[in-house]
Amino acid sequence: MITYISIGLLGLLTLSIPVGIVLFLLGFGVDAFFSPFPLIKGLGNLVWSTSNNSTLIAIPFFVLLGEVLVRSGIATRTYAALDRWVSWLPGGLIHANIATATMFSATSGSSVATAATVATVAMPQAEKLGYDPKLFSGAIAAGGTLGIMIPPSINLIVYGFLTQTSIPRLFLAGLVPGLGLALGFVVITVIICMIRPSLGGTRRVFPLSEMLQALVQLIPIILLFTMIIGTIYKGWATPTEAAAVGVAGAIVIALFFGEVSLRMFEQSILGTIKITSMIMLVVIGASFLNFTLASAGLGRELQNFLTGLGLSPFGTILVVVCIYIVLGFFIETLSLMVVTIPIIVPLVVAQGYDPIWFGILMIVLIEMALITPPVGLNLYVVQGARKSGKMSEVMLGTIPYVLAMLAMVAALIAFPQIALMLPDALQ
Amino acid sequence: MEQNFLIILRRLNHGIAILVGIVLFACAAIVLMDIVLRQLGSSFGGTDEISGYVMAIATSWGMGYTLLELGHVRIDFLRSRFAGKGRAVFDLFSMAVLSATVSLIAFKAWPVLARSLANGSNANTPLETPLAWVQTPWFLGWVWFAIVAWLTFTAAFLMVLKGQFGNSEAAIGAFGEEEAVQ
Repeated sequence: MITYISIGLLGLLTLSIPVGIVLFLLGFGVDAFFSPFPLIKGLGNLVWSTSNNSTLIAIPFFVLLGEVLVRSGIATRTYAALDRWVSWLPGGLIHANIATATMFSATSGSSVATAATVATVAMPQAEKLGYDPKLFSGAIAAGGTLGIMIPPSINLIVYGFLTQTSIPRLFLAGLVPGLGLALGFVVITVIICMIRPSLGGTRRVFPLSEMLQALVQLIPIILLFTMIIGTIYKGWATPTEAAAVGVAGAIVIALFFGEVSLRMFEQSILGTIKITSMIMLVVIGASFLNFTLASAGLGRELQNFLTGLGLSPFGTILVVVCIYIVLGFFIETLSLMVVTIPIIVPLVVAQGYDPIWFGILMIVLIEMALITPPVGLNLYVVQGARKSGKMSEVMLGTIPYVLAMLAMVAALIAFPQIALMLPDALQ
Repeated sequence: MEQNFLIILRRLNHGIAILVGIVLFACAAIVLMDIVLRQLGSSFGGTDEISGYVMAIATSWGMGYTLLELGHVRIDFLRSRFAGKGRAVFDLFSMAVLSATVSLIAFKAWPVLARSLANGSNANTPLETPLAWVQTPWFLGWVWFAIVAWLTFTAAFLMVLKGQFGNSEAAIGAFGEEEAVQ
C-alpha cells in the first residue's frame, strides 16, 4: 500500500492534476484495492465534517488580516520604518527585507503576499543604492518563508488539525526557531557582506530623530501581534477567535494609519477567498485520504515496514529529512506538508518523537521547499516583482539562507528544547 | 463566444466571492462580540458552531471562484516542458478529472443533506441548529463548483478544437505565480 500511494502520488501529480483532487483519487484507490469495506459511502460526511470546523476558520481570518495590512499600505510603511533602524548594518537594506518579513510573519498568515509587497517596495531601492540583486532578492524570498513558522501560522494550524496536536502549543514552539532563523539570516548576511562589501550596497545611518519618528510606524504592527498572541495566552480567546481579533485590529489599524477604500476591501476579500479555497481543497482531500489510509490499516503496515528496515529513531529522522529536501524541490509547500502528514507523522511518532517538535522540524523543511528550485513559490513571487534580470539570480541568492535553514534543522534535531522549551515552560 | 461565456461565469463567481467575504467579515464580528461578552460574564454560547457552518459554506462556494482564477495548485513540472497543443492536452485532462471528482463529491454530499431533511435533524449543540438549513447551502456550493468545472471544461475544449491554445491556457492553465499575488 505504501508503494501504491507513493507511485500513485508522484504519477498523478506529474500529470498536473490539481493537488487536492490527486488526494481524493488516491483515497478512491485505497478504498477500491485495500479496504475490506466500501469507504466511499463516507465521502459526503467526511467533506461536511472536515469543512464544518470552527478551528479552520482561522485560515481565512489570518489570510484576510494579512491582505488588509498589505493592501492598505501598512506593509510599505513598516518597510520604510525598519529601513531607518537596520540599514547601518553591513548589508544595509537587506536587513530591512528580513526584518519586515519577520514582523509580518508575526501578524499574518499570508507570507506570499508579504514577500510580494516587500519585493515591490524594495526592488527599486536596491537598484538605486547599488545592491547585488542576487543576495538582495534571495533575502526577500527567504524572509518570506518565516510567515509559516512565526505564529500565527496557517501551516501550523493545518498541521495541528491533521495530527490532532494542540495549536497554541505549536504556536509557542514555533516562536524561538522562527526568531532564531530570522537572526540566522541577519548574521549570515552580515558575514557575507563583511567578506564581500560590494554585495551589500550603501550603508546608511539615519539621524536619531528620524529613527524615533519611524518607530511610530511600527507601533501598530507590534500592537497587533501582542493583541493576537496575548488573547490566546491570556485564555480570552482560542487561536481561531484570536484570528477574528486580528482581523478587527487590522481594519482599525488600516483606518488610522493606512489607505482604506472599498476597492481595497474588495481586493482583500478576493485574495482571501482564493487562498482559502485553494488550501481547503487540499485539506479536505488530505482528510479523505487520511481516513481511507487509517481504515485500510496503514498503521500496521508502516509498523512492519519500519521493523523490516531496522532503522534507529535517529536514522528514521535522517531519512525523513532527506525525503523532505528531495520532495521539496518539486512539490509546492502546503501540498508537500499535507500529503506527507498522514504517512510520515505516524511513523515518526511511533519512534517516540514528540509530534509538536516534529511539526516545527517539518515547517523548517517546508520553508526550505519554498525557496528551492524548480518549484519554490517564493522564488517566483520575488522574480515576478523584479520585472528584470534572470530567475537564476534569485535562486543563487537564496543559497546562504538555505544553509541557515539546514543549520536550524540540525540544531532542532540535536536540541529539541529549541522548539519545546516555551510550550513546556508555559504549560 | 466561449470567451464571452467565461467572462460571464467569472463575473458571477466574482460576485459570489464578495458575498462569501462579507459573510466572513460578519462572522469575525460575531466572534469578536462573543469574546467581549464573555469578559463581561455572558456569552452567545454558539459562536464555534456558527464559525463551523460559515467555514463549510464559504469553502464550498469559494471553490468555483478559485478554479476560474487558476488558484487550485497544480504541479506543472512536466506540463511546463510542453507548449501549445501538448500543454492543452494536460490542461483538458486535468480539468476533466477535476470535474468528474467534484461531481462525485457533490453526488455523495446529497445523502448527507437528504438524511437531515428526512429526519429533520438538529445539531447536537447549544443552538440546536436544524442541519438542513446549513447543509443546503453547503451542498449547493459543491453542486455549483461541479457545474462551473464542467462549463469551464466545455468552453476550454471548444477553444482547443478551434486551435485557440492561448485562450484555453488562460481559462484552464496552471496557476500563474505572479497572478497569485498581484
